Amino acid sequence: MPGSSSHSVALEIGGLRKVFTETAVDDLDLTIRAGEFYALLGPNGAGKTTTLRMVAGLLKADAGAVSICGIDAFADPVEAKRVLAWVPDEPMIYDKLTPLEYLEFVAGLWSMDADLARFRADALLEQFGLSDHADERCGGFSKGMRQKVALAGALIHEPRLIILDEPLTGLDAGSARQVKSVLQGLVATGVTVIMTTHILEVAERMADRIGVIAKGRLIAEGTLAELRERASTGGITLEDIFLEIVAGATPEEALAEGKAA
Amino acid sequence: MTFTGFAHHELRLTWRDWSWIFSGWRNRSTRRALIGMAIFTAILHLIAYAVLSPFFERGGTPDQTTLAILTVSVVLGFTMMLSQAMESVTRAFYARDDLDLILSSPAPSRDLFLVRIGMMGLTSWIMSVLMVAPFINIAAALGGPAWLAGYAVMLAVSLLATGAAVLGTLALFRWIGPKRTRLIAQIAAAVIGAAFLIGLQVVAIVSYGSMSRFALFAPDFVARHAPDTASPLWSLAHAMTGQTAPLLALLLGSIVFFAAAAWVGAIQFRRIVVAALGVHEPARRQRGGTRPFRSRSTGAALMHKELRLIARDPWLISQTLMQVLYLLPPAVMLYVSFGSDTRIAVIVAPVVVMAVGQLAGGLAWLTISGEDAPDLIATAPVQPSARLWAKIEAVLVIVAVVVSPLAIGLATVSPWGAVVTFLGALTAASCAILVQLWFRSQAKRTMFRRRQVASKVSTIAEAVASILCAGTTALVAASQPLAIIPAILLLLVMGIAWSISPKERTIAIA
Repeated sequence: MPGSSSHSVALEIGGLRKVFTETAVDDLDLTIRAGEFYALLGPNGAGKTTTLRMVAGLLKADAGAVSICGIDAFADPVEAKRVLAWVPDEPMIYDKLTPLEYLEFVAGLWSMDADLARFRADALLEQFGLSDHADERCGGFSKGMRQKVALAGALIHEPRLIILDEPLTGLDAGSARQVKSVLQGLVATGVTVIMTTHILEVAERMADRIGVIAKGRLIAEGTLAELRERASTGGITLEDIFLEIVAGATPEEALAEGKAA
Repeated sequence: MTFTGFAHHELRLTWRDWSWIFSGWRNRSTRRALIGMAIFTAILHLIAYAVLSPFFERGGTPDQTTLAILTVSVVLGFTMMLSQAMESVTRAFYARDDLDLILSSPAPSRDLFLVRIGMMGLTSWIMSVLMVAPFINIAAALGGPAWLAGYAVMLAVSLLATGAAVLGTLALFRWIGPKRTRLIAQIAAAVIGAAFLIGLQVVAIVSYGSMSRFALFAPDFVARHAPDTASPLWSLAHAMTGQTAPLLALLLGSIVFFAAAAWVGAIQFRRIVVAALGVHEPARRQRGGTRPFRSRSTGAALMHKELRLIARDPWLISQTLMQVLYLLPPAVMLYVSFGSDTRIAVIVAPVVVMAVGQLAGGLAWLTISGEDAPDLIATAPVQPSARLWAKIEAVLVIVAVVVSPLAIGLATVSPWGAVVTFLGALTAASCAILVQLWFRSQAKRTMFRRRQVASKVSTIAEAVASILCAGTTALVAASQPLAIIPAILLLLVMGIAWSISPKERTIAIA
């Protein structure tokens, strides 16, 4: 149990484990500081989403402990969820509701004060450029617009920790920039953001620290500079470093292995 | 890919679908499911024996009443199959599934549709046989092998229903276009399905001896109004009893009709699917953009959301509240008998209970499994039990609103009947909700109709539980000790459903 939690720690994971038919997450330890932008990288099936779904309370862990802003998420999930927001890769919203109605519903789930919720909803819709669509049903929205509605829903209760699973997948350049800008703004105000992504350039540009997961274990962690130092070949881009770390070999060797396969 | 390749592909998918539905890929579960089904089938045979043996003890010669009942049963079966087939055909045109892959390949899409429509006919036949086989078997055992012709009649009826569904859907496409065909076809399918059950209800009321008002099948009424037993109008019934000429004519006619419909549909398949896939929902504005938010508890927020989503979806309304139609005949009977017949509860109670079971099942699926934002709900700071209870409350509120007027009306005539009906309805709703809880699997609300395909076990368990609740309620209302039999069967069905339901849950309750 990560018992040494303090307010400077947003998320502390200790010995987290999940086995389906194979081990998906294997005694994972991870600590993320408050106000940090943390990017979680890894190949497909590495255990990133499984880890984060256990943190969000969407999946039961087989073993281990999770502390969110000092709250034991397994012992007191309701309190932990009050400070948490989860944004899945596929925006899950209701086609028959308008963005405004969706935000009102989310505010109800978090038992927010109605006036404050309305104020926050207007501000978020404005921030995401959705004000003109506030009264339109979401059924006809593009994926980018749906993702922004989902993100607005995640932010309306002013969470201290936001977990995003591939939030930029399928977004056009304009929407992606808007989302990135909002996330950076949140981090600037002390909110902690954890994001999985396959777009390494995003992690490279935005993340304070980067964690690399493979086969359910955290195999590397640090700032870009620290990861670069660790890479034996002195890779220049995060892609070089990532491939070397994940493959346990140089990028060239990894690519050669891929061709051989 | 050739025609046989498509056929192999479809058969494999169907087989795996059925295997998964009945076993969840677990041998233990398969064994238990098979044992449970064997027991259930044996019980159905016993019921069939109890129903049919008096007829065969009297000689087993079909009189006008028998022919009328057989004919009506076949026609009602046809409407049920037509309803299912219309739903399947609409899905074949609109569900994206693998159509993008197949239509973008050089394989002939005509062959695919021919195979799929063939599978629809076959599935329809198998499903109907599952229900009527005990009656056909007992009739053959007591009255001779000629009664086995019932299987062939069911096949012919399945082919006719599937062919009619294809032609009907094509006609809708031509008349009202792809944008509205889906909605209209699905509503039509639901109405036709409801019509079947309402028809069954009429038969049930008659068999409970409700006399003059529904004396359509009473022997003296039939003798006066129906044609002679040799009349060709009884051809369907004659085919059921194994008469060669009508049976061959029916089979041949249905095969030709089915083949023609399938061919016409297959030729137009690609054009229709391309048109259907191009349908998009237009932007629709709602009022209230400037109104303040309302403070709600989590439970109230969930319930308000459920009611709002259903209210905004005419298709869902048609699907979920179609059961209200079942209440019309008893409501009329209640009105006619007002203040004069305290035994009315015997007739009204089972119909109300049956309707409540079906209504609660559909609504419970919508709220428990058909959640479009499961992650959002599951990450809200609420205990899972409170979350679940809020959803169940939403179901019960809608059920109560629909049933209350009838229950109050019944209470004015028969307070005892009203109490029995209330308890029966509560049991039916509870059983339906439990089945939906045990078999919950996350899906989009748009999959509502497919829930019956995705989990045949839960659909069958839900329907059988409703029927048994209705039977128990009717017998209790009539103060019959025999009520213990359907009550025990209900426990058995629920036990089987629980035992074969998936036990491992890796996702949180949304």
